[in-house]
Amino acid sequence: MDDERKVSVKKMSDEKITTDISFTKEILTKYPKEQRYLLAILQDIQRHYKFLPRKSLSMVQEYFDIPLSRLYSMATFYKALSLKPKGEYVIKICDGTACHLRGSNIIIDEIKKLLDIVPGDTTRDGRFSLETVNCLGSCAAAPVVVINDRFFGKVTPSKLKEIIEEYGGNGDE
Amino acid sequence: MQIVIDGKTCDAKRGEFLLDIAKRNGIDIPTLCHLDALPGEGNCRMCIVEVLERGRSRVVTSCIYPVKRPVEVLTNTPKIIKMRKTLVMLLASRVPENDMIYQLCEQYDVKPPMRFTKDPTEECILCRLCVRACEEIKLNAISTVNRGITKKISTPFDEPSDTCIGCGACAYVCPTNAIKIHDKNGKRYMWNKSFELLKCEKCGEYFTTRENFEYVNKQLECKEPKILCDKCKKTQAQENLRDIFSTYEM
Ligand code: SF4
Ligand code: FES
Ligand code: FES
Repeated sequence: MDDERKVSVKKMSDEKITTDISFTKEILTKYPKEQRYLLAILQDIQRHYKFLPRKSLSMVQEYFDIPLSRLYSMATFYKALSLKPKGEYVIKICDGTACHLRGSNIIIDEIKKLLDIVPGDTTRDGRFSLETVNCLGSCAAAPVVVINDRFFGKVTPSKLKEIIEEYGGNGDE
Repeated sequence: MQIVIDGKTCDAKRGEFLLDIAKRNGIDIPTLCHLDALPGEGNCRMCIVEVLERGRSRVVTSCIYPVKRPVEVLTNTPKIIKMRKTLVMLLASRVPENDMIYQLCEQYDVKPPMRFTKDPTEECILCRLCVRACEEIKLNAISTVNRGITKKISTPFDEPSDTCIGCGACAYVCPTNAIKIHDKNGKRYMWNKSFELLKCEKCGEYFTTRENFEYVNKQLECKEPKILCDKCKKTQAQENLRDIFSTYEM
């Protein structure tokens, strides 16, 4: 089943990258042509494609008639935006002060062991991405991990292993 | 309104920037990210000074500090010098091999600390003047990229920019000479892009890129421009003037 899943994920992202620009068009029509909506638009695009495709960026550029360099500057500035495809599941490990003190680095190491990715990476099958964030505001539950929009507190290496398995584990194994 | 800078009374308009007032009065304040043509960056903080007001002292960034009341300003107090030293030390840690910053180190008697890992090839202090210059010519080929310790200046995707015309304005304004222009065999190479260089019709020297030449003439709405370098343009203008005067004399 894992193989099947891998293939379908891969196919989906390929198709998205090459063909599906209609969503970008749709988003653009939803917002007035005012630059203060730029970030919101980029966030929508990011949410849909799990990254900012170049085609979409040039469409945004044309729509607002702004320099590409400005968009690129924004796209590389905000952590929520990415130019490389993000995985299906984005794992966010809190590395804020409280979580750091409570061993977030051990969790990061554990992910490296389980999925062979470091912060900023995506697994080869495109299923998991790893990011670190600075304080999620739940320090009492440190160390904190968030996967897509699901929250996990007081995470230990063994608990983490269970969680990752719940999401299908390492596809390479 | 009058303000006092280092004991000298200076005329000032409300809202004028401290640095400009000082400059006009011949008082030297060091700057890195300020050019009169591209003011207001306020990134390098080399231009800090002390402002004394109602018995209290404050450190302000003179290039972006508008004066509102008659105040007293000190540009070279021990406190300011100590802070500038720290700034120079940090800059030197960022661009350890840069001549310009090295000179500042000598001037301020600063030794860069050993505890930072340094990149000997880095020359940019992220002052953003180049980005501003490019913005000002309406080309916007470069911008700041990334944030924090990986921040840098580059073209989108580090690729040759569609809008770059190889004019070299960015390199011209750079305080640390970080942007390298390579002119070789009639070609210019910068920002990962190569350009054809044009030869002056008169003296035969290469002087600009074709793209820059065409861009400037389009902006000036010049229909049949002569391919002349600045020097030859000047001599030509002088000759033209001389011709006009000689007809008057007749
Ligand atoms: S390249 Fe030069 S002008 Fe541009 S930001 Fe760096 S130091 Fe400033
Ligand atoms: S430091 Fe992790 S939630 Fe605050
Ligand atoms: S010259 Fe004022 S901050 Fe750089």
